[in-house]
Amino acid sequence: MRNVVCMFDSGYTLPQGREVINYYYPLQYGFDGLIEIAKKKKMEVAGHAHGDGMAGINRLYNYEAAILVLEGIQKWILNYAMEALRLQAKEMDPVQKREYGELAECLQWVAHNPPRTFREAMQLCWTIQIAVLNEDAISGMSPGRLGQVLYPWWEQDMNAGRIDREKTLELLECQRVKFTCIDCFASMGVVGGVLSGNTFNNLTLGGLTATGQTASNELEILIIEAAIRCATPQPTLSVLYDENLPEDFLLKAIECNKTGSGYPAWMNNRVAIDFLMRQYGPEGMTPEEAYAVAIGGCLETSPCSWLQLKLNGKRYWIPGGSGQPTSVGVHFISLPKLVELTIFNGVDQRTGQPVFPPHNNKLNTYEEFYDSFRSYFRKTVEVLALTNNIQHDIWRKNNMAIFNSLLKPDCLGKGHLINELGYRYNGTFSIETCGTINMVNSLAALKKLVYDEEAVTLDELKDALKNNFGFKTADEVGSYSLADQEKKAGCEKYDRIHFLGMTAPKYGNDDPFVDQLLKEWEDWFCKTCHEYESLYAKPFYACQISVSTHAPMGEATIATPDGRLANTTFADASMSAYPGTDRNGPYALFTSATVWNHSTSQNSQMNLKIHPSAINGPTGSKKLLELTRAYMRKGGFHIQYNVVDSKVLRDAQKHPENYRDLMIRVAGFTQYWVELGKPIQDEVIARTEYEGV
Amino acid sequence: MDCRNYAPVDVAKGICHRAKQTVLADDPNCEFFEPTQKCKFCSHYVSSQEEQIGLCGAVPNKPWTYPELITVTCEWFARKVS
Repeated sequence: MRNVVCMFDSGYTLPQGREVINYYYPLQYGFDGLIEIAKKKKMEVAGHAHGDGMAGINRLYNYEAAILVLEGIQKWILNYAMEALRLQAKEMDPVQKREYGELAECLQWVAHNPPRTFREAMQLCWTIQIAVLNEDAISGMSPGRLGQVLYPWWEQDMNAGRIDREKTLELLECQRVKFTCIDCFASMGVVGGVLSGNTFNNLTLGGLTATGQTASNELEILIIEAAIRCATPQPTLSVLYDENLPEDFLLKAIECNKTGSGYPAWMNNRVAIDFLMRQYGPEGMTPEEAYAVAIGGCLETSPCSWLQLKLNGKRYWIPGGSGQPTSVGVHFISLPKLVELTIFNGVDQRTGQPVFPPHNNKLNTYEEFYDSFRSYFRKTVEVLALTNNIQHDIWRKNNMAIFNSLLKPDCLGKGHLINELGYRYNGTFSIETCGTINMVNSLAALKKLVYDEEAVTLDELKDALKNNFGFKTADEVGSYSLADQEKKAGCEKYDRIHFLGMTAPKYGNDDPFVDQLLKEWEDWFCKTCHEYESLYAKPFYACQISVSTHAPMGEATIATPDGRLANTTFADASMSAYPGTDRNGPYALFTSATVWNHSTSQNSQMNLKIHPSAINGPTGSKKLLELTRAYMRKGGFHIQYNVVDSKVLRDAQKHPENYRDLMIRVAGFTQYWVELGKPIQDEVIARTEYEGV
Repeated sequence: MDCRNYAPVDVAKGICHRAKQTVLADDPNCEFFEPTQKCKFCSHYVSSQEEQIGLCGAVPNKPWTYPELITVTCEWFARKVS
């Protein structure tokens, strides 16, 4: 951690999150109903092991804990109702007075009963959201397919004339404000360095029903409209792209993209389903259940399940989270830092400290270099997996969640909470990397320049890297973008090597030389993750998103063989090209990105920056949709867009006071520009801007 | 801001329920001031040597609390007589 080989505290300071919540049980049974279920189950299991000599008796205590927590939550909700009544008594404005009364009545009802109306269902879901967030340090407790969860009440309210579209939009916009108020604190390094202060409340749209039809509905169209009208960072939106989705729904989502908010992001539904079957098939997941998929946190493909809701005699299958958090595991291994450590025999060049035992390999061939690099990667994972398992064992024995547990299938039925594998799906720990593309570009530069053509010796390269190719540091220059770096006077001796590094083959140009290296890495990395086991005795999987780590990790890494300079930010995400190096257009980038099978990883991540003029008008919307489709059809998992002119961003850096509500898509999240650190701002400005698609 | 009508937005400002306007957290009290309930105003609060940490004397095991904790839902709150 000290040498920033990883930003590992993310994996344990936020023991829950990056998952999909489940609202079903309170929606179907109400809190009184859930207490009755827990009491009945408690009597059934009290004193019985029922064949489980380790944890069978614990079910008695788990149900008792569930009852106490549910009763506490009821009292907490009723406190809010009392506050609404107090405000109503003092209020002079008649409209506001009436609204306080409605609020109190709604809270008093949902404190005990299943909701009767869309508004009550929305209130209950929101209450559940906040109750879960109060239980632990959590980032990315995503609402999931909320438009599909709430649809039964909305459909029935619309048919009965109890609500209309404008009232729905007002409620949805208020909900956006509430989600944006969510905050969390874990540690400075995590909340600032990793998360840029974002809380990743990801509302998933689209996808399929349990029977394979399009799951999008009219309420989801209104959710998108509310996001257009009330542009706030939360909830962020994701579309599970599927060929079955209707065109008008897709074009509505594109309309939202064009506002510049950065959402919705687009995820490949079929790739997500394939991933879920690979990882959770051994735990009993079926293809039909995999269709319930939603996105946790920013980009975490999360296991979900269908549960049948009965409302006024009609039955609906609604999706909800059924897996453990995916906020856990081996977090943010800096791949370019491992390249550096391989070159320098295990010694971090920024601190001078040995991080790993020296490999002492001569590195005479590319294969030897690559094997040494992978060996250091394995060592990193071994250490961090052990640490993470112990940390989470302490958490589950001392501080595990009760309320979030009982919301997820199958805890209430089985009587076991998260710590006793009560969840339906428990294999959710990941090995997460950052800086993939700088690593791949560096391997390409090494292979070509040092090993294939022998244009540069390894010692010459080491010297150049240590001296930052003759440039000042990014800290001295005050910018973390490669484009703004400055040469030191009289330091021409490294110009040749730097030129060779910069012009070595780069990812993102449909160049097989580099793309093959990416494929080799991904095939090995994704498979190797399964060799490691979480404390729940389930295999790890690969996770490839940067969030904001590409900035602090870049800052802690010296120059790299691909020509990147010291302290400058890595390429964002995992499949985005390094700024300015994707020279053959977006379709070449897509070809490079899809050389490997994205369903072998929980995710991949691709950002594109597009100038607004490139997608003007209805024709521009169709072009953007076709661009998205093209990537999805090639097998890409995720793509998201910044639709912005870089000149605006430069002005916003100079005059932030004029851009208080400017929002930017970073890597899986939308954030206010003025709340981003400068390294991330510099990186977003530097991203290749496509003026035509 | 120790007024019951104040709804904080962030550390610097909030909204006044009566005036329906943004107010700063350190603005002076107005004519509609209504004292809120916080541990520091409670007769059960026991301050300690440590800054910002005290004890709640209303609960038998005297748990930790802090002076700025809002206690509008606390059933044991007893306003100190000044």
